[in-house]
Amino acid sequence: MFSYILRRLLLMLPTLLGVTAVVFFVMALSPGGVGGSLLNELGTMEANQAKALRDYYNKRYHLDDPIVFQYARWLNQISPLGFEPLDDGTLGAFGFKPPHLGYSFSKGRPVTALYSEALPITLMLNLLAVPIIYTVAICSGILAARYHGKLFDVVTGIGFLALWSVPTIWAGVLLIGFLANKQYFHGFPAGGLSSTMADQMSFLPQWADQGFQRGWLLDRAWHLCLPIACMIYAGFAFLSKLTRGAVLENLSADFARTARAKGVSDRDVLLRHVFRNSLLPLITVAAGILPGLLVGSVIVESIFSIPGMGKLTIDAIYARDRELVLAGTLIGGLLSLFCILLADLAYAVADPRVSYD
Amino acid sequence: MTSASSTIADPPHAGRTSDGRKHRSYVGQVIARTVVRPGARLGLLWIGVIVFCAVFAPFLASSLPLAVKIDGQWSSPLLRHLTPADVIVLVAAPGAIILTLVPRLALGNRLLLWLAVIVVSIPLCFWLVRPPRLVVYDDYRQLAAAGRIESAYYAPIRFSPTDRLRDQPGMKNQPPSAVHLLGTEADGADVLSRMIHAARIALAVGFIATGIAIVIGVTIGGLMGYFSGIVDLVGMRIVEIFAAIPTFFLLLSFVAFFPRNLYIMMVIIGVTGWVGYARFTRAEFLKLRQQDFVQAAVACGLPLRSILFRQMLPNGVAPVLVEASFGVAAAILYEATLSFLGLGLVDEPSWGQMLSAATTASGGFNWWIALYPGLAIFLTVFAYNLVGEALRDAIDPHTNRNNG
Repeated sequence: MFSYILRRLLLMLPTLLGVTAVVFFVMALSPGGVGGSLLNELGTMEANQAKALRDYYNKRYHLDDPIVFQYARWLNQISPLGFEPLDDGTLGAFGFKPPHLGYSFSKGRPVTALYSEALPITLMLNLLAVPIIYTVAICSGILAARYHGKLFDVVTGIGFLALWSVPTIWAGVLLIGFLANKQYFHGFPAGGLSSTMADQMSFLPQWADQGFQRGWLLDRAWHLCLPIACMIYAGFAFLSKLTRGAVLENLSADFARTARAKGVSDRDVLLRHVFRNSLLPLITVAAGILPGLLVGSVIVESIFSIPGMGKLTIDAIYARDRELVLAGTLIGGLLSLFCILLADLAYAVADPRVSYD
Repeated sequence: MTSASSTIADPPHAGRTSDGRKHRSYVGQVIARTVVRPGARLGLLWIGVIVFCAVFAPFLASSLPLAVKIDGQWSSPLLRHLTPADVIVLVAAPGAIILTLVPRLALGNRLLLWLAVIVVSIPLCFWLVRPPRLVVYDDYRQLAAAGRIESAYYAPIRFSPTDRLRDQPGMKNQPPSAVHLLGTEADGADVLSRMIHAARIALAVGFIATGIAIVIGVTIGGLMGYFSGIVDLVGMRIVEIFAAIPTFFLLLSFVAFFPRNLYIMMVIIGVTGWVGYARFTRAEFLKLRQQDFVQAAVACGLPLRSILFRQMLPNGVAPVLVEASFGVAAAILYEATLSFLGLGLVDEPSWGQMLSAATTASGGFNWWIALYPGLAIFLTVFAYNLVGEALRDAIDPHTNRNNG
C-alpha cells in the first residue's frame, strides 16, 4: 500500500507540470502576453516615466526574459530544491530553500496570502454543501429503493435528473432576481459573505437596546442561504441513484433474506442490515465528487460575488497575473489529484477485496 | 482472401441471417430498446424541436419579408440576405435526411458522404452566396408604413436577432406582449428571435465538441484495449493526466486569453473531454479482443483499422453512446456558462449571454430575459440527460432482466 501511495504521489508531479505548463504557455503566447495589463497605464505617462516603470516591472517580475525562462524561474521558485533566488534578481547557490509562490502583479501582495484568504471561504462553502447533499440523497435513495417502482421512486428519479440538468447560472440568476431584489421579494442579500457592519456585530444573536440584533453568525448564515442552495441541488441525482442501486442490490442479497427469515422486522432489515452495507459506495465516491464541487463553486462565487478561490482565479485570468494564475492552477490541480487519490484509497480501505499491491 | 474473411470473420453485428431475415445489430437493438422509453421519447422530441429551430432559424425569425411585392415587382429580401453559414446548414440538414433514407449503405459510408457534402458546400457557399454587407432592418417597416408594399409574406416571428428596432425607441426592455412574444432586451432585440438563432450555437458546440472527444477517445481507448500491455500502461497514464486537468479552468484561460472564437471553444471542450470515451472503449475492447470473431479477423489478416473499427467498434460502442449523450449536455452547459461569464461570442446570440443580461447594472431584474433563455438551456440539457439515462438503462443487463 505504501509503495502504491508513493507511486501515485510521484505520478502527480508530471501531471501538475503538464497542467501548469499548458496554462502558462497559453497565457504567454496569447496576444498581449504575460503582464500585458500592467502596461495599460503606461500609455498616459511621460516617456521617461513610462520607461522607468517598465524597467521596474521587468526587473521585479522578469517580464523581459524569454517565456521558457520565465516558466523555469517559476518552477525553481516553487520547488523546495533549487537555486536560491537573490534580492537583485540573480540566482544563488543550488540547495534546499523555502518554496515561494511569488507576488501577484495585479494586487501587489504575496500569492500565498491571497490564497490563504480565499481558500477557507471556498472550503467552507463545500463543507456546508456536502453534508446537505448526502443527507437528502441518502434518505431519498433509501426510500426510493424501499418503494421500488412506486410513485416516489419515479418522481425522485426524474425530479433529481431534472434538478441535475438545471444550469447553475440559471438557478443563481433566478434566485437573485426573485428573492434578493426589491422588485419582487428582498428577503436575501444579493451577494457577498456578510453585511458591511458584520465586524461590529456580536457573535451570537441577542436582544439589545435597539431590539433584535442579528449577530455575526446569523448574518453569515443569511448570506450563505442562496449560494448554498445553488450548490447543492445538482448533486442529489448522482448520489441518490447510487444509494438506491446499492440498497436494492443488498435487499435481494442472502444476508437480508436470512435476517427476514429469522423474523427481523422489515424496518430493521432495511436500516440495520442493508443500509450499513450500502454505505460503502457512498463513502468511496465522497472524495471523487469534490473536484466537481470546486468547479461548481467557481460559478457560484462569481454569481454571488463571494471572494473565494474561484473568484480570485477568474480575476487573475482577466488580469493575466502570471503568479496568481499559475498558483491557482497548481492548487486546483493538487486538490483534485488528492481527491482522486483519496477516493481510490477509500475504495481499498472500505472494500477488502480491492488491493493495489 | 476477402471472401474468406467475410464468411469466417463475420462479426455478430452484421447484415442478414441465412434465412434472409433482417438481423438487428447490437447498436440497433440498444437504440430500439431506448426509444420505447417515454423519457427518451420526450427528450428526442425536444431535441428535434431544437434542431428544427436551428436549421430553419432565418425562416422562423427575420425582420426581412420572405416575399414582397413593391411597385408590382415580387422579390425575396430574406433569401437575398441569407449568409453562407445559413446556406451550408440548409444544405447539410436535408443531406442528412436523404442519406438516412437511402437504403443499403453502411453507416460509415453515409457519414463520409455527408461530411463530403458539407466539405464541398463550404467553399461553394462562401464563393457563391454574397449577401449585402449592410442590413437595414427598418427599410421594409418604413416602406410598409409609407404604403408602398402591395403584398408581403413574413416569417412567423417578424424580428431578426440583431434587429435593435432603431425606428422604435420605446420598445426597449419590454415585457412579453402580443408583438414581442417573449419580450425585448435592453437594446430592443426580440428575445424569442434571439433564442431561436441561439439554438444553432448550442447545438453546434454540443455536437462538434462531443464529436472531437469521441474520435480521440475511441481511437486511443480502442488501441489501448486491443494491444493492452505496454500501450495500455502508457495510455492509462495519459488518461490520468487528462482526467486531472480542470477542464473548466483550462477552458476559461483559453477563452479569456485568445480572441473570442467558437471553434477554439469546441476544440478545447473536445480535447479535454475524451477521457471518459477512452476508458469505456478500452474496457469494452479488453473484453472483445479474446472473442472468436476478433481472433478470426486477425487470423484472416485483416488490416488493423478494419479489425478495430469495422469488427470490434460496432460491438463495443454502446457505452460510448451513453457517454456521448451526457457529453453533449455538458458541452452545452460549458458554452452557456462561459457566455454567461462574458467570455462567449459578442455579436451572435447565445442563451448564456442572454441570461447574463437579465440583471441590469442599476439593480433591476427583467424576469423574461432570465426565465426563457435559461429554460431553453435547461430543457435542452434535460433532454440529452433523459436520452442518456434511457440509453444507460437499455444497455444495463440488470434492468433488462427485471423488465423481461
